Amino acid sequence: MFEDAVHAVARGITKRTNSDPASSDNVLWALRDIDFHIRHGEIVGLIGHNGAGKSVLLKLLSRITWPTEGYAQIEGKVGSMLEVGAGFHPEFTGRENLYLVGATLGMDISKIRKCFDEIVDFSGIEAMLDTPVKRYSSGMYVRLAFAVAANMEANIMLFDEVIAVGDVEFRKRCLERIRAMSDEGRTVIFVSHNMDTLKDLCPRTIALDHGRIFHDGDTDEILRKLAQPQTTLSPTL
Amino acid sequence: MKFNSQNLHTYRIEPHSSWMPLNLKEIFAFRRLLLIFAIRDVKARYKQTLAGITWVIIQPLLSMLVFTVFFSRWLNISSGDVPYPVFTFAALVPWTYFVHSLTMASNSIVHQQSVISKVYFPRMLLPLASVLGGLIDLFMSLLVLVPLMMYYGYAPGWQILTLPIFILLALLTALGIGLWLSAINVRYHDVSQAMPFVTQIWLFATPVAYPITLVPESIRPLYELNPMTSVVEGFRWALTGDGELPLRMMLISGSIALTFLVTGLYWFRREEVRFADVV
Repeated sequence: MFEDAVHAVARGITKRTNSDPASSDNVLWALRDIDFHIRHGEIVGLIGHNGAGKSVLLKLLSRITWPTEGYAQIEGKVGSMLEVGAGFHPEFTGRENLYLVGATLGMDISKIRKCFDEIVDFSGIEAMLDTPVKRYSSGMYVRLAFAVAANMEANIMLFDEVIAVGDVEFRKRCLERIRAMSDEGRTVIFVSHNMDTLKDLCPRTIALDHGRIFHDGDTDEILRKLAQPQTTLSPTL
Repeated sequence: MKFNSQNLHTYRIEPHSSWMPLNLKEIFAFRRLLLIFAIRDVKARYKQTLAGITWVIIQPLLSMLVFTVFFSRWLNISSGDVPYPVFTFAALVPWTYFVHSLTMASNSIVHQQSVISKVYFPRMLLPLASVLGGLIDLFMSLLVLVPLMMYYGYAPGWQILTLPIFILLALLTALGIGLWLSAINVRYHDVSQAMPFVTQIWLFATPVAYPITLVPESIRPLYELNPMTSVVEGFRWALTGDGELPLRMMLISGSIALTFLVTGLYWFRREEVRFADVV
């Protein structure tokens, strides 16, 4: 039985992949026996080394990839921002992309039109709005991408290490925005390699190691644990 | 298990079974995005080009010129009562649409792997958008036929009202085969490599540059298996009123196109689970 207000549940999620997906040799376990439940309005940090399974887990929750075993159950609409600029067309201008990306992320055109000014304001790229985004710097890219994604009407938001490219000031605004999402009762899962950000933003953190949950609980506790030399997440890194 | 909720839709992510329901309802729910993808494809193609959207007209016009010089002037292929340029252009319009849509659809998943692996939407939108976006080009090139036919003193009769049937047949054929090829292409990129070659052979196997009467009787039944034969012959009939409505052939073509479409839909649904992992 779960407590009330459970928003997302994962039970025994296992995903098997192959290093060469065209053949069935070299079996890799991207995820193994993932169990958790997340309550409404929680901000959960997700950490782990490269290849630990963070992105696969977010993709799975976003219905981009499927588990081999187990299941996840989620209430309401999922909004994901798994990569900066996913859905952008490089030849299109910022304005055109704002609509294209918004629609790709599942927003209504009328909704995009309504928060057009807000998105442009937040991104701070007004002067480049009619320039093809292929001429944007990576910082401008992430500004526009995050500004659009921040306006998604989703009950649970998934962020995969996306704001790392922005400058300090913009990152601060993003984090405020994410906090505001949680205050509105939305649930956030947030991948980061930045321990300060995690400590600041997420009371709870799930740490993955080689596809398994290594720790699930208080962020300070896991960070303390990681600070001790004998508990590195993985001997190879 | 119980979720405490304010009537939110709950969805479950679990292992995918091999044969999935088509879920056309979801495609319908995403119809706006489908339209946006279709328009994006058309707009993107002519960005940073000088001629812009006129490329749509230039391509079939140039093919018509080349065919007229080689087949009509030099090889003396007769197009019956219809002047050869009209005869071949009426066929090139649907043919160009078909090849273009089929090629775009076959590459649609592979070319958009970055979106496929990062954003959720029904994957079928991509090949669908390819065949729908091509319709804009088709209508543009149909407009060129107006001055061409006027020049040769042709006015289309009531038959032109049947044109949508042949457009639909071309669309369904491109979509059905495109669904198959786009899914296979994810696994084996050989499809992209083979497409230009396959479509070129297909062009010669379709009576675009020559009339079907030139084809020996003994291999006509083979020609009837090619849905594009119906489309091309149908277009000519609908636009110039010359010849007969290829009714029997249309029934054969229609069944073949539908077979590709239905099997293609199911195959695509079966394969799409792996797209993000394999592409």
